[in-house]
Amino acid sequence: MESSKVVKEQAARWLVKQDSGEWSAADGAALQDWLQESTAHVIAYIRLEEAWKRTGRLKSFGAGVAAGTVPSPRQWQLSSVFIAGEAGPKTAVVRHARRPWLLGIAAGIVGMAAIGVAWLVLTANPMYQTPVGGLASVPMPDGSKVTLNTNSAVRVAISDHERRVQLERGEAFFEVAKDPTRPFVVVAGRQRVIAVGTAFSVRRGAHGIQVAVTEGKVKIEGEGQHVQRPATGGGVDTGSLTAGSVARMDGNGVLIEQRGVQELEQELSWRAGFLTFDNTTLADAVSEFNRYSVRPIVISDPSIAAIRLTGRFESAKYEAFIRLLEDGFSIRAERDGERIVLLKR
Amino acid sequence: MNRELNQWFVHEVLPHERALVRYLSRVWRTRSEIDDLVQEVYVRVYEAAEKSRPAAVKSFLFTAARNLMTDRARRARVVTIEAVENIEELSVVADEMTPERRLSARQELKALAGAFESLSPRCREVVWLRRVDELSQKEVAARLGVSSRTVETYLMRGMQAFADALFAKQILRVVRRRARNAEAEPGHGKQ
Repeated sequence: MESSKVVKEQAARWLVKQDSGEWSAADGAALQDWLQESTAHVIAYIRLEEAWKRTGRLKSFGAGVAAGTVPSPRQWQLSSVFIAGEAGPKTAVVRHARRPWLLGIAAGIVGMAAIGVAWLVLTANPMYQTPVGGLASVPMPDGSKVTLNTNSAVRVAISDHERRVQLERGEAFFEVAKDPTRPFVVVAGRQRVIAVGTAFSVRRGAHGIQVAVTEGKVKIEGEGQHVQRPATGGGVDTGSLTAGSVARMDGNGVLIEQRGVQELEQELSWRAGFLTFDNTTLADAVSEFNRYSVRPIVISDPSIAAIRLTGRFESAKYEAFIRLLEDGFSIRAERDGERIVLLKR
Repeated sequence: MNRELNQWFVHEVLPHERALVRYLSRVWRTRSEIDDLVQEVYVRVYEAAEKSRPAAVKSFLFTAARNLMTDRARRARVVTIEAVENIEELSVVADEMTPERRLSARQELKALAGAFESLSPRCREVVWLRRVDELSQKEVAARLGVSSRTVETYLMRGMQAFADALFAKQILRVVRRRARNAEAEPGHGKQ
């Protein structure tokens, strides 16, 4: 058998050639010939192909960096931040910027051993984001703190008049430092959530936006208004939310529900890496887990979708969750490539 | 190529590469031969799976590895002493058989970051421009003022480093259990 070193190199050459944009039918045929020569060729090829595909995730380190900007080794600082937790090693990537307060944030991030994943601090509006399965805490220069859930991104702009956070995707929990002179505004799609000093979460989902308040009071405004100081108001006020309430908004309206602080805190247990279910259907539980994993769980049988679960699970451990389902219910899991399918046993 | 078989191989076999390398390295002392052994084990497993997919992939993989090493040790007229020295230990130890499955999203990102960090600065730039900024290979060459051949070489090198980081290299184990809350929130240190 050929040496694996040689085979791997040949495979890499083929993939790079394919990646070059100069790929002819003759090249395709030659590749097929090469693959047919030996199984070792096929294996080396698919292995490298898979790895190369997954390097797409490097983009989460690059989001927000001006296109074409190569981070120089000095700018690009990669430091591994280990925390003791069930999810194992975490990585924090900090890109230093020029402004001193940004450096402050950067230092803060490294120092606090954030449950970070990819961090990017830009010169203009810093963007912070987590990949699927990520969880990260970001101290802001004004003393506020933002905690990002899985697959989430925020852009932060702080001026003398306003503290503004754009929730690009996902879910974030905000602990706002009191500062009456600068309202804290979270923008999620067409909605604005305005606070002075309080704690609340905002989540963008497929069906709109959800705001949950655990402390203090926030104000919600719809589209088409300028940001107002909470004191002066203005625009069509769609409502004030007090601690313990949840608002759901879509294009058509706002629905406010009183749930109690305790219950909300439980729902926000993702901040410590947990999912809490309370008489939750399997369908809902699975869709929660799927937010944390690149390998979705699919329910193939509607009769099991209605099973109700109560409990607390580590969000990163969906395999353990599935084993529990298999042990405790008439459920069987089939792993087919990129998905995990749940069937009735 | 059999797409479906390839998918199976990528998702069910490759995640065990780390454990396989660990096992082979423990038994087979000639380090330089480990990569070739992995290659041959893979070929055997892949070709067997063409006929029928093994149910317990990991033990099937380890059995193939054990058989291969035994074959090799027997067949070789002159076997280096180091190679056979451990052949008695062919049994798979329990912790090698723990179902480690694939890396979590975070571990995977960490592995990628580590591999990226380990590249030479030039290689890093090439990979970054191509993979993150999505410049074409030609554009990368023009921007860095190097030949396309050079870009190709760096990409090949990067690709290999990422594959090894994702599949083969050992992942550092970190002290676990939940000091997490304390760690995550400085200032609320002790609880």
